[in-house]
Amino acid sequence: MIKYPSFLVVFLMIFTAVSLYQIKHFITKKEIELAETNKAIKTTRSDLHILKAELSYLKRPDRLEQIAKNKLNMKGILPIDIWNLKDLVDATKTFNESGS
Amino acid sequence: MSFLHFQNNNTQKNDLKMRRLKLLICGALLFIAFTTIGYRTVSLAGLDDKTVRNSFRSVNSKNLIHPFRGNILDRNNNLLATTVNISSLNINPQEVLDVNQTILKLKKIFPKLNREKLLQKLNSNKKHVQILREISPRDHVSLLKLGIEALKIESSKKRIYPNHSLASHVLGNTDIDGKGIAGIEKKFDKVLANGGDISISIHSGIQHITKTLLLEQINQFKAEGGAGIIMDAKNGEIYALVSLPDYNANNYNKLLDNKLFNKATKGTYELGSTLKLITAAVALESDLINENEVFDVSSPLRVSSRTIKDYHPLNYAISIPEVVVHSSNIGSAKIAEKFGSSTQLKYLKSLGLMDKLSLELPELGKPQVRTDKKLLTTMTISYGHGISITPTHLASATATIVNDGIRVDPTLLISNSVKKNKRIFSKKTSKTMRSIMRLVVSNKNGTAKQAEASGYLVGGKTGTAEKTNPAGGYFKKQNIVTLTSAFPMNNPRFIITVMIDNPKGSKRTAGWVAAPVVNKIVTRIAPVLNIKPQTKSSVGFSKNLLKFKIRGKDKGAIL
Repeated sequence: MIKYPSFLVVFLMIFTAVSLYQIKHFITKKEIELAETNKAIKTTRSDLHILKAELSYLKRPDRLEQIAKNKLNMKGILPIDIWNLKDLVDATKTFNESGS
Repeated sequence: MSFLHFQNNNTQKNDLKMRRLKLLICGALLFIAFTTIGYRTVSLAGLDDKTVRNSFRSVNSKNLIHPFRGNILDRNNNLLATTVNISSLNINPQEVLDVNQTILKLKKIFPKLNREKLLQKLNSNKKHVQILREISPRDHVSLLKLGIEALKIESSKKRIYPNHSLASHVLGNTDIDGKGIAGIEKKFDKVLANGGDISISIHSGIQHITKTLLLEQINQFKAEGGAGIIMDAKNGEIYALVSLPDYNANNYNKLLDNKLFNKATKGTYELGSTLKLITAAVALESDLINENEVFDVSSPLRVSSRTIKDYHPLNYAISIPEVVVHSSNIGSAKIAEKFGSSTQLKYLKSLGLMDKLSLELPELGKPQVRTDKKLLTTMTISYGHGISITPTHLASATATIVNDGIRVDPTLLISNSVKKNKRIFSKKTSKTMRSIMRLVVSNKNGTAKQAEASGYLVGGKTGTAEKTNPAGGYFKKQNIVTLTSAFPMNNPRFIITVMIDNPKGSKRTAGWVAAPVVNKIVTRIAPVLNIKPQTKSSVGFSKNLLKFKIRGKDKGAIL
């Protein structure tokens, strides 16, 4: 008949072995996950760099200028295109006075 | 017998006790050991997400945080330089099964590949041959789909400049190992190498406008090149720094030295009459000269073996504002004679015109100034001969003059705090100078009339100098034309300094060649910089500007 302490020892040994196996398995799984995450981060960062560079390439001032001129028929702003509010009020006054 | 039996019995009992004791000790030790291991096992088995995350972070910090060299960004966070992963296409010819089939497959994706060269590469005895140095991610996927044997796609990092030539002299470049060898790349190599980003004060849009307009003028006058600087008049932040000819920063290694040379910060030139601004400011600042004092410029001035003449002679005595507006060499020389060489050199030193700039670039030129203190030297320096400085030095000195006399040091970094700089000129002198500079552009006798951009109150000073001959003396028919300016003159916000090297044609003056560039630049950049045009009725239009009598050739015109 197995005595109580021996039973305990055997139980502990089995418990330890199973637990260690579980932990090893868990850690291996996590390490794989970590490696995959690392790889994904590296790829995403690389893609992000390329996308940012592409965006910057597309936003080049010379390209935007050409698009604005040729596709949108835009022109540079001249001083006469900008009015100060006070000047505009004065001009309206003069116009109203001459009209009446 | 019974005694022996008793003795034996006793010994057995003792042995049994001993064994039990040993067993108990062993049992206790084993129990403690297994309990400890069991506890640790249970605690490890209960590993939570937080622990994993922390351990991931520690791995991450070692391997992932700085895989790329840092970016260079402009003041609006637009990318100017970055690093990307690129793939190169290589092959092991020994592993190729069917050379013709491989060539056909490769040409399907890369039609520009030369068949003969490919054949030569695939039949070589080497084990590693490069087919293409760079392939796009899309081509990479196509190659994988085709399943060509013996292919090796290798990944490497490449520094790229998405804006090509924009601000190429400022950005600089890196060598094949990714180490900074010029410009910001070199100056901030440590920060960038550790993955840190650098934001510079350059404004991509304004840089582009300055470059385009300067280039137009250089082409029109078949000039050798030029430089343009746009700088904040208060804190010295540089919005645009152009040196032409420039280059595509992505092709740095294939370039010739003349394109790499930074004319704006490295090249030193005699910038001619623009230096009269400093002469006038020093005169107004010194107690030796009265503001209303006049100088006779009616006849050429003979000093030692040299005769100082004016390009547009006047036959009467003129005031300091008139000396600047008419750009009189004789008047300037006479003013300098009054305050002397020591005062002149003291101010040149305090304006930073005798030292290298403190700009964040490795390519900086050292000014060359004659310091022999001879009268002729003092006189010629007063109108910009015998002193060679970079265009950025001139922009900095102009900023100091218009910024209430407080020194402005140019910088390529965005300043988050207000720097308290030394006062060089008084507020009064600065105000007078601003008014005189405005007259150079607005007055009908001014030399920079073509710089007038309606509503923006431009002021400045022109300079047309003969180009120095490296062998000694000057080239009589080669000029350096410069205009250093500020706007709006009633409250200067920006400095624009434009220099054009050796323009061709009969009219090679700064007023004719450089001034129109400033006019166009101001008109284009003012709305971008949120500077509103002003009319005579606008509040503060003539505030901070004084009126001076400027006489023309007929000696009577007042404006």
